[in-house]
Amino acid sequence: MFELDLFELTKATVTTLVGLTAVLASLGVILCSSPIYCALYLIGHMICLALLFLLYNAEFVAAVQIIVYAGAVMILFLFIIALLGGKKEIQEPSTERSIAIAFVATMLGELFLSATVGPTRPIEGAFDAQTVAEVGGSAKAIGLELFSRHVVAFELASVLLLVAAVGIICLSKFSYVPLRRRMK
Amino acid sequence: MGHQFVLLISATIFCVGAAGFLIRKNPLIMFMSVELMLNSVNFLLIGFSSFQKSMDGQIFALMIMTVAAAEVVVGLAIILTIFRTRHDMDVDHINTLKG
Repeated sequence: MFELDLFELTKATVTTLVGLTAVLASLGVILCSSPIYCALYLIGHMICLALLFLLYNAEFVAAVQIIVYAGAVMILFLFIIALLGGKKEIQEPSTERSIAIAFVATMLGELFLSATVGPTRPIEGAFDAQTVAEVGGSAKAIGLELFSRHVVAFELASVLLLVAAVGIICLSKFSYVPLRRRMK
Repeated sequence: MGHQFVLLISATIFCVGAAGFLIRKNPLIMFMSVELMLNSVNFLLIGFSSFQKSMDGQIFALMIMTVAAAEVVVGLAIILTIFRTRHDMDVDHINTLKG
């Protein structure tokens, strides 16, 4: 009994620490003036979120988060920053900024209020930790669900990726200058 | 950790992302703020899929990751094209369609 309590206590402490680190890293993303530091903070934020996913029994999504986000997407961001040259941005206070911050603070207050209203009606699904372990892990459970009940969404996602690939080829091949030359 | 922790952390990260999108002028950092917002929703979905003992939240999180990857690729290509033609990285200066 005591061992279980110690385990739960450690898990709660680690979860709180990782969550607070994720919030601090996200603040670093929007407050740093140099884009390269913003990108590095964002990588830290995504790794913290992957740890949180692990703590909430989503091993497969945590791995995908590290590979897709912290790997592919952030490397793409870093390449673009290296290509364009990370120029520092001077941030001076202005009316628009104060309006934006007031708007976001109001939204945060409303979200906090709605978060503390009370428990919603719980739905008991079929996948508790034991069932997932019996199926053979998080990846297998996701695969079973994805290819049985969410096939249409899966196919639509593949179409979306194809459209994005075609779009980026169009954007990089027919850029502005050749377009103007063609129109002459 | 309970529902409240997930809701509070997720709401905070979402609002930080929204603030970053509104106050920054570099389009790259605006895109990073969009990523922050998408990630906060991912965390909410994962947390609640764990509470509700259902896999649907994790599958939705995977779909959001797909959409985010496609969106980032196309958005960065557009930013690169704009920078190649204008040599300017301030979104406030991109206010004409004439070029």
